[in-house]
Amino acid sequence: MQRRDARLGLLYSAPLSLFLLLTFLAPILLVAAFSTMPEKVFNLSQAPDFSAYRTVLAQGYWKSVAWSLFMALAATLILLVVCWPLAYGMAKVFKRFTLVLTIGVVMTLFVSENIRLFGWVLTLMKGGLIEGYWRHWTGTGFDAPLYNGPIIVFGLVYVYLPFMLFPLAQGISMVPDDARQAAYDLGATRWQILREIDLPLAMPGIMVGSLLTFVLAAGAMAESKLLGGRAIITIADEVQTAFTYGQNWPLGAALAMVLIAIIGTVAIWAISKADLDKMMGGKS
Amino acid sequence: MNLTRRSFTAALGAAGAASLLRPSMSLADRSGELNILCWEGYNTDDVLGPFRDMFSSATVRAESGTSDPDMINKLRAGEVNVWDLINLNQPWARGMLYPEGLIKPLDKERFMPFFEKMTPEYGTPPYPLAFAEDDELIGMPQRYGPFSFVVNTDKISREMAEDMGWKLFLEPDMAGRFGILTYDNWNLIHMCLTGDLNPFQPLDEAGFTTFEDTAKTIFAGAKMMTDDLVAMNTALINGEIDAYFTGGTYTASPARLDGMTQIRGITPKTGPIDGKGGVVWAELTSLVNNPDPSPLASDFLEFVQKPEIAKAVGFAEGTYNPVAQMGDPEVFALYDEDELDAIQWDSLEEESARSVEYDSVADYDKLMEIYTAARRG
Repeated sequence: MQRRDARLGLLYSAPLSLFLLLTFLAPILLVAAFSTMPEKVFNLSQAPDFSAYRTVLAQGYWKSVAWSLFMALAATLILLVVCWPLAYGMAKVFKRFTLVLTIGVVMTLFVSENIRLFGWVLTLMKGGLIEGYWRHWTGTGFDAPLYNGPIIVFGLVYVYLPFMLFPLAQGISMVPDDARQAAYDLGATRWQILREIDLPLAMPGIMVGSLLTFVLAAGAMAESKLLGGRAIITIADEVQTAFTYGQNWPLGAALAMVLIAIIGTVAIWAISKADLDKMMGGKS
Repeated sequence: MNLTRRSFTAALGAAGAASLLRPSMSLADRSGELNILCWEGYNTDDVLGPFRDMFSSATVRAESGTSDPDMINKLRAGEVNVWDLINLNQPWARGMLYPEGLIKPLDKERFMPFFEKMTPEYGTPPYPLAFAEDDELIGMPQRYGPFSFVVNTDKISREMAEDMGWKLFLEPDMAGRFGILTYDNWNLIHMCLTGDLNPFQPLDEAGFTTFEDTAKTIFAGAKMMTDDLVAMNTALINGEIDAYFTGGTYTASPARLDGMTQIRGITPKTGPIDGKGGVVWAELTSLVNNPDPSPLASDFLEFVQKPEIAKAVGFAEGTYNPVAQMGDPEVFALYDEDELDAIQWDSLEEESARSVEYDSVADYDKLMEIYTAARRG
């Protein structure tokens, strides 16, 4: 009976599995295939020579990869610290106000990322909302805090906040209040409770939130382009340049594959650590 | 009708399968359909509306690209079957699209007469770069404009900028005072000119070294980089920067039409190519080599030569540009003083005379490699 169920399940899921395979995997396989082609070709009929990967290694693209990963890591860590108190409040303290907060944060996602970032440019630029008023009132101006590395990280933190906040709140809500109270009763300090109760028990939420933000931030480029004035060239920007102005599809594909490989490794590692079943409230 | 769940599912499946068959069925007749891939302007209601009125039963669709290579990629990725017309800067049409069979020649008998009414630069003789090396007419010119760099004349006078030319961006006291509009292919050309190199001729090793040094100096001196002309003009207006590398009538005109006439496209007085240091671009609109072409494509190309439509193309939302058809007094009469000032009509002729034609960069791949590495820092 069980075997029949399993077979039926497989059969029922076959169309969707096939669809997912085609839509998710096929484009990546296509990119992978292109990355092996000789440079500057626009079809897959040539013999693979992997020269694009040699170019990736020889031309210092590692700098862009390193910058993207570093900024993604910085944004993720900042988000973790910034979102923890808020997520804690949402999970344990705010009660009905949580809904208001959730709607507020989700609403920001309704507006395109580029428009929100351009809003920040208008706010921060010279003669913009802040500096403009400041100069109007005091008569002295100051340089805009735009077009540098830290502002790019700020942009990443701002854009990807919801992706950290919600999984984190979900993770913290899994921490049983009883466990915390028991720890207090046994004389644990607040720091000990955070370290030994909250963090380990909320770990699935921390992992999922961190993974989402890291993966998205590592592939981001709008923040660098709009806020950062391309002070740092991200790897996604390099991929775009290779595909467009470079007219070098294999190089663009190879750069994309390098990013996919790094992010994929991080993601698989993190997912293996996080217990998603438990998070979703299922059996562990 | 008795519709059971089973028959509904079957019908749904059939409908789904039918949609897969459509492409081959639609191959038969595209007379009522026209798809245009273009820079902004051709896709506005002012241009498409009257055309739709003329062919009310036709479905006319226009999509605006964000860069020449983006649009070329669409054709390369198999969309030759989709588009009927493509509007691009001329070197791409001549250098890539035509040799690769992605566009096809126009009917000379039908389109040559239009050159007679164009401005002298494009009409007499007919714009040489609208023709392929085999002498076929591969596209019709319309918008054009000098494209070198832009300054805020309140901070840097027009005369000084024109006299100094590209060397302005190598001045130590300009460091941190200018931006780079990252239209990469243009940056290559302009960085060559800054280094007294001719980008349209193959360079030697010394040339590449000069290019690399120039690129590094310019990237190091830039306060900001963006490929968004609005962001760049905003930074120029609010005093964040005093000039930007790569720009011209196309990018300065929106600010100028808004009354900020201190924002001005500059063409250097001298330069390394036969004494010229400026570059002028022109767009060509070409017929895509669609295996199942729409007959409306040539009609549209003829339609945009009409005076009101030529003006609408030049003055579409976003950017404002002179059009070759302004040689026709009927077209010219449609412009008012502010509009002419926005496109720097007063100096257009002398700027064009000081400019060379935008062409394919001879060592594009190698220079692109050096450029991206220098930009990475």
